[in-house]
Amino acid sequence: MQNHPSAILGQVLAKYPASGGALFQVYNDLTLAQRWSDVQVLDLTACGRAAIKGKRPTTDTDQGPSTCVVVPCSLSESISTSWLRAAFTSLEPSGTEIYVAITTEDTSTVYYKISQGIVKPPV
Amino acid sequence: MSLVNPTSRSKASSKPSARHAETARTYAHPLPIIFPEPTYTFLGLSLTRPLNPHCTALLDPITRSAWVANSGDATILWQRGFFGKGDLSRSEPSWLARQINARKMKGKGLTSEEITAKRRAERKQFKLDRAKAMAAAAAEAEVAFKEEGRVIAPGIAPDGTRIIPSAATWKPTSISVPSEESPPDTPDELQEEIEPIQDLEHLQLSLQEAFFLVWALDCLTVLHPETNEPLTLAEIWNAFQNAHTSSLAPQLALPPPRFDNPFLVSYIAYHHYRSLGWVVKSGVKFCVDYLLYKRGPVFQHAEFAIVVIPVYEDPQDQANSPFKLQNAEPFTWSWLSTINRVNSQVQKTLVLSYITIPAESRVPSKVLSSPACFAHYSVREVVLRRFIPARMRD
Repeated sequence: MQNHPSAILGQVLAKYPASGGALFQVYNDLTLAQRWSDVQVLDLTACGRAAIKGKRPTTDTDQGPSTCVVVPCSLSESISTSWLRAAFTSLEPSGTEIYVAITTEDTSTVYYKISQGIVKPPV
Repeated sequence: MSLVNPTSRSKASSKPSARHAETARTYAHPLPIIFPEPTYTFLGLSLTRPLNPHCTALLDPITRSAWVANSGDATILWQRGFFGKGDLSRSEPSWLARQINARKMKGKGLTSEEITAKRRAERKQFKLDRAKAMAAAAAEAEVAFKEEGRVIAPGIAPDGTRIIPSAATWKPTSISVPSEESPPDTPDELQEEIEPIQDLEHLQLSLQEAFFLVWALDCLTVLHPETNEPLTLAEIWNAFQNAHTSSLAPQLALPPPRFDNPFLVSYIAYHHYRSLGWVVKSGVKFCVDYLLYKRGPVFQHAEFAIVVIPVYEDPQDQANSPFKLQNAEPFTWSWLSTINRVNSQVQKTLVLSYITIPAESRVPSKVLSSPACFAHYSVREVVLRRFIPARMRD
């Protein structure tokens, strides 16, 4: 069982206790279950929480793993478009899309991909 | 439809019967407490005691849940009533099994996540093939029109057969999976296998599930995360209501008495459906609060999707409330239609569950010191189905 809080997340959990549960759950899901590599924790002061950036493994052999940013939040919070815009501006240099991870108390996590503007879906 | 043809087998019995018998055996008990067949009876009362597994869980205030670390307890709670969810898995804790599978790289005994991943990869391949075939057929039609001026229907070959694959006829071409061609065991691999993987997963119970097991069934003990002391029922009652405050330690003091505490409102819905025999799980994947299963997720897909709508008996209470309960404000029509559409597409019936919150002016707030306050709430259901007058006459 994971020790709580872990060394990597300890500082961030103390700084933003309200989103601590969601961050902890998403971090475990990405590193242990989804097997993301090069995982770093980013501090988004504008949104009042931390985000996670890492390389997502892919089954396509011709593409390498792509870097994605995940912003966790819990089901009991309400988020607005200004919150999302703040997240995008905080990740300005590379941010074209972010994943919002919504967590529940029974550890179900749903990920939504948010892009800036209208983007045509692939295939 | 001809009355002469025999009716087809129902979907429920299409599972092979050996697997069906095995799941029926594994998930035979609907609750963690087992009532054995009475061996001695006296005046019609059974003298054999029910078997109680006495599981333990640790309260975690940061994730607002109870963790069951012992894998024996976790298996009992999952297999008898589908309580909880593995925190790194889709349903029961299967993370360790998946890691061992990945290490051995054998395809035998795939866990549910791996089966879903395989199905998704096949569907993605089918979509790519279909897109390519459609593009090729369209290009061919263009060429035919330009050169010879004749119009051919794209997608139909000269002899009348379809050349665009459909879901029913497409077969996955054998993609060379790297794992199947791996070289025979090298000494490095043998060394890796000797070192056992530590199980980093636990079974996580939501506060509603944990309280049901503690209070209604009395088969769970909740421990304080720092001292590992078992919490009394009064402490659990206070700590669960205080869980919405973001603190790093459980708050065991009595909370300011409010009938619209989010834990109380969601627990009432959970308790109502569980005590009627339904298996209640989280419905976040379908934009609802709870999903109701008749027997359990392993048997059939959920039939009902519950949206919990709290209704205040006294509007003043809502104005003074420190909580902003979800769905307490009236729904917009667009939002309601969206949820209904999402659920009809997956063949679930949407049920709106209205929980009436008693007025502070009518009911004394000292009833909130114990679960006896549940008697003052009420639950009413409204079933929602889309009605299409033009089409629903056949």
